[in-house]
Amino acid sequence: MIDPTEIRKSFPIFANNPDLIYFDNAATTQKPDIVVDGICDFYKNDYSNIHRGIYDLAAITTQKYEAVRDKVATFIGAPSRENIVYTSGTTAGINLVAFAFLAPRLQAGDEVLITAMEHHANLIPWQIVCQSKGATLKTIPVNEDGSLRRDSFRSLLNNKTKMLAIVHISNATGYINPIKDMINLAHEFKVPVLVDGAQSVAHYEIDVNALDVDFFVFSGHKVFGPTGIGILYGKSEHLSRMEPLNYGGSIIKDVRFEKTTFLEPPHRFEAGTTNIAGVIGLGYAIDFINQFDKLKIQQYLKYLRNYCISNMQEIKGLRILGSIDDKNENGAIISFLLDKVHPHDVATILGVEKIAVRAGNHCTQPLMDFLELPGTSRASFSIYNTPYEVDQFVRALESIQQFFK
Amino acid sequence: MNEKLKELYKNVILEHNNNPVRFVKSETSEYIVEAYNQICGDRFKLFFDLKDGKMINASFHGFGCAISKASTSVLLSYINGKTLEEVGQTVDSFLNILDEQEEITEKITDDFEAFTAAKSFPGRAKCATLTWDELKLFLSKLEK
Repeated sequence: MIDPTEIRKSFPIFANNPDLIYFDNAATTQKPDIVVDGICDFYKNDYSNIHRGIYDLAAITTQKYEAVRDKVATFIGAPSRENIVYTSGTTAGINLVAFAFLAPRLQAGDEVLITAMEHHANLIPWQIVCQSKGATLKTIPVNEDGSLRRDSFRSLLNNKTKMLAIVHISNATGYINPIKDMINLAHEFKVPVLVDGAQSVAHYEIDVNALDVDFFVFSGHKVFGPTGIGILYGKSEHLSRMEPLNYGGSIIKDVRFEKTTFLEPPHRFEAGTTNIAGVIGLGYAIDFINQFDKLKIQQYLKYLRNYCISNMQEIKGLRILGSIDDKNENGAIISFLLDKVHPHDVATILGVEKIAVRAGNHCTQPLMDFLELPGTSRASFSIYNTPYEVDQFVRALESIQQFFK
Repeated sequence: MNEKLKELYKNVILEHNNNPVRFVKSETSEYIVEAYNQICGDRFKLFFDLKDGKMINASFHGFGCAISKASTSVLLSYINGKTLEEVGQTVDSFLNILDEQEEITEKITDDFEAFTAAKSFPGRAKCATLTWDELKLFLSKLEK
């Protein structure tokens, strides 16, 4: 098992905030020294713009920047650095696929399929593209516990379906979609699939090649990296047939007043000066995660989640959303409700106790509407969280329930 | 529970949260003012009729945190049967107190003051003023 107490020492935020219990890792993760110092060193020692300078420094920066693509490619099992597009985050990656890949191919009467548990980021871009083309956005429903209605998925797939976009792990419930099965089935209908891996890459081994997924997106800041940097993986056959979405410098082969030709992927999708330091930071974040065995991470987080759930179940009037069966695989997320206390009151009181949780609809308003919930409180764990913190958290929940009795 | 929190969830807030005043849905009312905070999803409706310049049959319904629910309950405890002018004064007074622009006078009781603590909590001041702000907006439109 991994040692959270030891891991905590790599995260300066905990040294600077010794009382902090950070259970909001599904929103964003804290940053280890290697990332913070790495970015700092980069700005102090190696910084310049990329792909334009002739001088040594620019060449070194460009090399480092491009080398991170290889690191990312290996990290998610992509065949080559050409499949790795730098974006500003998961949202930008999805928008790029929706508008540069799907929109030109979508026609009136076509259908795009998502699940009812999608984050707004994996819903709105498809909704807008569908609206502009007269296509229909279809939703695979979920069960009462937030799990996918697999039978409905099969019946919703048809020859009109032009895209399937699904979240790997639900940020609202921690439910893990059977993405491999879904991709296989979608491919039987020749439907390309985008997987939103924002919640999964930090804890799960991703092999885009084995998954045979068409597009895979994630954000750097949820895998211990900086904000403002994300990754879009795309199969070469797709990326090569996509036009740029943003136009400007850095993406061009040849510019005339009459016509411009563009670079090959991935560079044609990266107009303007990109988040260079963000890329460097993401490289260090991947180095950081690569120290750990993903299976051991999952094993530890499963233990922590089960430990937390078994203690939470002692609290009368507390309901956990989603599966609490420890046989089921589940992300390191616990969404819950106290019968007499609104999620925002829970989060405020926990906040005063220096326990950071998220409260609200978690950017999954349609899911909350379906479940007829105003929102939930959500505790989400990472490798630096400890059973001791869970004890403090559960004690705080007990006192909240008592206070509002 | 620490003092700062107890200050926030004073008895007046807990009491109004658990036993809200005029908490009744009335979709057939002449006026329905909806207050919605898209950040947290709190949603309340104010229901009332107007007769001879007075607000009557006022009630509210909806869902939100203890602070937004209690503050709306306090609002309802003041406005029913009052003239629009009186309602406007009460609303301004409450909002000014939360904005620290008005001294708390004798006339204004503990139930207003209880909400001032919300300001020191990140993101919670809006909870206290959600329905009050919306009613103020409605009144200003009515004047025009």
